[in-house]
Amino acid sequence: MSVFSEGLRKKIDHYLTRYETRRSAILPVLHCIQDEHGWIKPEHIEELHSKYELDRVQVKEVITFYDIYKDKPTRKFLIRYCQNITCTMLGAKEAICRIEDHIKKLEAELGDDTPFGLEKFPCLGKCDGAPVMLVNKERVEHATVDKIDGLLSKYAPLPK
Amino acid sequence: MTQEKPKILLKFEGMPNGRALKTYMAHSGYEALKKAFAMSKEDVINEVKASGLRGRGGAGFPTGLKWSFVPKDMPGPKYLICNNDESEPGTFKDRHLCSVSPHMVIEGMIIAGFAIGANKGYIYTRYEFQEEIGQVEAAIKEAYEAGLLGKNILGSGFDFDLDHYTGAGAYICGEETGLISSLEGKKGQPKLKPPFPAVSGYLARPTIVNNTETLANVPHIILNGAKEFRKYGSEKSPGTKLFSISGALGKPGVYEVPLGYSWNRFLNEEAGGLLPGLSLKALIPGGASAPLLTPKECEDLTLDYECMAAKGTMLGSGAIMVIDNRQSMVELLRCTIEFFAHESCGQCTPCREGTGWLNNIMVGINDREVGADSVDRLHLVSKQMGGRTICALSDACAMPVMSYVQKFSDELKAHLAKG
Ligand SMILES: Cc1cc2nc3c(=O)[nH]c(=O)nc-3n(C[C@H](O)[C@H](O)[C@H](O)COP(=O)(O)O)c2cc1C
Ligand code: FES
Repeated sequence: MSVFSEGLRKKIDHYLTRYETRRSAILPVLHCIQDEHGWIKPEHIEELHSKYELDRVQVKEVITFYDIYKDKPTRKFLIRYCQNITCTMLGAKEAICRIEDHIKKLEAELGDDTPFGLEKFPCLGKCDGAPVMLVNKERVEHATVDKIDGLLSKYAPLPK
Repeated sequence: MTQEKPKILLKFEGMPNGRALKTYMAHSGYEALKKAFAMSKEDVINEVKASGLRGRGGAGFPTGLKWSFVPKDMPGPKYLICNNDESEPGTFKDRHLCSVSPHMVIEGMIIAGFAIGANKGYIYTRYEFQEEIGQVEAAIKEAYEAGLLGKNILGSGFDFDLDHYTGAGAYICGEETGLISSLEGKKGQPKLKPPFPAVSGYLARPTIVNNTETLANVPHIILNGAKEFRKYGSEKSPGTKLFSISGALGKPGVYEVPLGYSWNRFLNEEAGGLLPGLSLKALIPGGASAPLLTPKECEDLTLDYECMAAKGTMLGSGAIMVIDNRQSMVELLRCTIEFFAHESCGQCTPCREGTGWLNNIMVGINDREVGADSVDRLHLVSKQMGGRTICALSDACAMPVMSYVQKFSDELKAHLAKG
């Protein structure tokens, strides 16, 4: 039995031979696993080590070094809100406060089933649309405090 | 100096289907490649040298010269990497460029690969550019299908494979040796130079790392000649350059202007000026790591390497952040330092400890929990962080911090006095 789905196993096999060395496959393979599972579980790391010869220490090193990889469960919609210079100038702080408020209320109601998670993030390279956030992989621009409720309620209901 | 506004890199901006190979081909796309194949490798490198093209990734190193460092007679593989990591806060020109003209970048890469004798290239893009990654990958596929990538391209006998690689959220992977480590599947930690990547880079093989915009300039230089490239810009800063400008502006965005362009004109004509009622408080001219300029220093500012250097700052990646009169310099300095402290890879003590120390001091200043001498301590710590580390991240943090302290220490101290 594998902890990976058949589709995922195909992707892993593909990446293992795509580059000059197997090791270069670590980042793309982790991207695929996370896309499917939301985070990298210990059993994923073990199977990469035992069946795919991707050294567990090397894999863990990559997971902990890069911000994108998560070794803990994440919420359904992970908001990565830019808090860098331009976004700060154009209202990131106020919007982040409001998101935090929403999340607190949702958590009181739903606990771990709260749909939103929040992470403050470095410049997202879209400062001309500041303030900006990523919701999972989707870039959302002009996410100011007055618009944030409308933007987030497209993903999941907000507290009343 | 000419103040015309030619569209070379952004020629396809706004064009219907501008990203497609068909459109690119209809406007002399891949003609430069044909021309390069009819030239010798040395002549291609010499043409780029003669153009005076300087790297657009931040350091401004002459591109042709860099290419000539690749050992010519060394057997075995060589590599070319397009640095599309673009994580310097305020920078978003490569994102725009690779989205508008992925084929210009790809053509530039094939020519560069031919010139340095590399048969394999990678485009390394930051994870956060999901939409653009899809566009770049689609363009690579188109180029393969048209026989522009792969074996024996256009019957030239030259083979060039190109692949895309996605980062995972680490500013340090924009530093070329950090990028190479990342591409090897490792933590993105920079390596000591020398040896330079041109001699020992990806998998310890000769490797050239160039910025996306640098590579996109190559087709124009080869097709139209170094002289035509030099028609714009100055003797030491030839060509056009992409600038990304952001802040409380009428039209923030990416604009292509000749190097040497007037800052005032750029702000008011291209970027639509500051929003009504606002005035300029300070300017970050080249990304978060560039020292700040005051409004007075901006009066006669021109957008080129020399003028920026003369004013004690740098053009960097061409990322302009406009700070308006409503902004708190305490807040902006706090987020600048926090960024570098978070992104330090942790290898070198002056950087790891220095950025962390600055961050602690700055949080203290922000929360008014420290004395006024802390402002001077910011300067003292920064002064010891430069030139002592493997890569330039430490300097990139120290330089702006010193400029905030030099130019806005009154505001920083006044913030503390209010407590
Ligand atoms: C901390 C740090 C981050 C960097 N980030 C980038 C980047 O995102 N993109 C880039 O092209 N160059 C970046 N550079 C510069 C690269 O190390 C390298 O000089 C550049 O890619 C060379 O290309 P060029 O000669 O075409 O400019 C960075 C440098 C440092 C020290
Ligand atoms: S500062 Fe927020 S996207 Fe650049």
